Amino acid sequence: MNNKNDLAPTIRANKSLPHNLGKFATLLEGLEYAARGETGFNFYSPRGALQNVVPFKDLRDRAVETAAKLNSMNLQRGDRVAIVAVTSPDFLAAFFACQYVGLIPCPMPCSMNIGGKEAYIMRLKGMMDSAQVNVALTPDDAFDVVSQACERADVAQCLTFSQLDELPQSKQTFQPFGPEEVAYIQYSSGSTSRPKGVLITQKSIMSNAGGILRHGLKLTQEDRAFSWLPLYHDMGLVGFCLAPMLGQVSVDYLATSAFARRPLLWLKIMSDNGCTISYSPSFGYDLACRRVKQAAGDFDLSKWRVAGIGGDMVRADVLNAFSETFAESSFDSDAFLPSYGMAEATLAVTFAALDEPILVDHVDRAHCKISRRAVPAVKSNSADPQNVRSFVACGRPLAGHQVEIRGDTGEVLSDREIGHVFIKGPSLMGGYYDNDAASCEVFHSNGWMATGDMGYQIDEQLVITGRSKDLILHNGRNIWPQDIEWAVERLDGLRAGDAAAFALDKECGSEQIAVLVQCRLGDEGQREDFRRSVSSIVHQHSGVECEVVLVPPRSLPFTSSGKLSRAGAKALLISGEIFAGVAASLVPSTRMRTGSLAEGAAAEAAE
Amino acid sequence: MATDDEIFAKLCRLIQPFNTADVKLEKNTDIAADLNIDSVSVMDFVMEVEDEFDIDIPLNILGETRTLSDLIDVVKARVKGA
Repeated sequence: MNNKNDLAPTIRANKSLPHNLGKFATLLEGLEYAARGETGFNFYSPRGALQNVVPFKDLRDRAVETAAKLNSMNLQRGDRVAIVAVTSPDFLAAFFACQYVGLIPCPMPCSMNIGGKEAYIMRLKGMMDSAQVNVALTPDDAFDVVSQACERADVAQCLTFSQLDELPQSKQTFQPFGPEEVAYIQYSSGSTSRPKGVLITQKSIMSNAGGILRHGLKLTQEDRAFSWLPLYHDMGLVGFCLAPMLGQVSVDYLATSAFARRPLLWLKIMSDNGCTISYSPSFGYDLACRRVKQAAGDFDLSKWRVAGIGGDMVRADVLNAFSETFAESSFDSDAFLPSYGMAEATLAVTFAALDEPILVDHVDRAHCKISRRAVPAVKSNSADPQNVRSFVACGRPLAGHQVEIRGDTGEVLSDREIGHVFIKGPSLMGGYYDNDAASCEVFHSNGWMATGDMGYQIDEQLVITGRSKDLILHNGRNIWPQDIEWAVERLDGLRAGDAAAFALDKECGSEQIAVLVQCRLGDEGQREDFRRSVSSIVHQHSGVECEVVLVPPRSLPFTSSGKLSRAGAKALLISGEIFAGVAASLVPSTRMRTGSLAEGAAAEAAE
Repeated sequence: MATDDEIFAKLCRLIQPFNTADVKLEKNTDIAADLNIDSVSVMDFVMEVEDEFDIDIPLNILGETRTLSDLIDVVKARVKGA
């Protein structure tokens, strides 16, 4: 399709096709429209060379072909198709092919940690079970792992993209999804052990993409996007694939794994192509900053007008460091655009105003904790982290959407009162796929949805103070403590309730994870081996480092209803009480280890 | 073709900056767990290895790589395959 020798990326603005900012009834209507222009998607190799150029027209043609092949597979309308969401034309062709034939695509993660094969298989199996997948599609090199997941999840058919390509094309007429139907199932919510599929309808994606394009980004034809975000994640899929396509702008892609290895390729490609829009969690800006050695001035980032931040708590210190480092590349710090969203709202809920400096609210720490009010800190104190917490405001809701802060008993709170964040509007999901219990838990009366996050408002601007109680945020990823505990408890000799995982040191953004494990071993050597296996299994499952603290049997606290109390376990760790029964020889080293933890924990306890 | 020990020595040199706890490196050292490196730093190390040996290490192979010895095998296979 492409002549590799003189490959050039798709152009910036369509020559004659009038710009339409997402005013379509379905994803396919948007794709058919975009296919009339010259813009499209460009895929870069792990070393930053342009590898595949796919104008929207080619994407449409490939999707139509793939759709006819899917139609030859004896699938029923509404069947679920798991697609491993590698950053490649294959994934996108399969995703849109499903739209043509009325199959529900379920983008699946393709991330794997070093040594994490088994954990990855279990993660896929969980998602396949939850979506009752009928067929799985995978890149050739992941076939081995994905087919093992299929076996365990009883998925009868597992095909590589090339096997799918070899199928005959059926002559059957397409029955695309209509405006009142579903669009896809998103798996970036819920824990690995019990994943919840977010059912996105055509209405929700059209509403959200329109809001992003018209309200959040105020997209113009001169825009060009860049993304290294994974396409199985809502920010990657909606923010940097579906929305740009629905706004007919070109996107340059670097695979997430390539970004993790060479983060500066992000800035190099943006610089080379004059990209104007890119998003990252705070940790991505941090990574780029730390990896750049001398040549920050080699880039030209002057065209970058939207440097979005989402996916984790927005960290003002990281953004300042990035601005300073890349000022000599002409990076404009007003480009930073904090926003707030979640898969359950398709993607975006609020956006800060464009072209304005980020709003940092310094509030009095003691008031936050005692009166649950975000009272502005006294000026003289504002630099003192002991007394002041700083939050970045995430802006106002998209048109047609509402945000409310509610107290513990459901009453609506006023400005600067900290409470539960509720949202309402046409972007909300249809519900969790085949999980009414979970859907009922989040949906309240009159279309309001509980986000599980805590926050407050200032003049309609939303400020998030914390994510759902137990969720751990690590490098932009949500990690459920249940997943870590579940992995640890599968070690020999352990049982359910033997492990408690939680985050400490939320203040500086990158959270330190502590895992308390009840240990029945007495021998010091055995205990050390045991500690090592715990650390190893946590790595394989979550790819994070953690402090393993061995605690005596029956020392972890439980709630009155018999559930593990992570907050209780954390409090015991901080106070030092949980070490009461630890063998004397271990106490000094354990104490030392927890010294640094305790500091972070103390800061957090002041919240 | 470099011997296992030569590759091991190179890998040890590359991983040393990430070995913040100064763990003694053996062939059976579990890269992520024993050295307590997070997933982002692991990728940084993988990049160093790729550049040193001029190879690409796909993610699906990383998923089955745990020890330095495993990584030596990966390097050998990729260098040969190139």
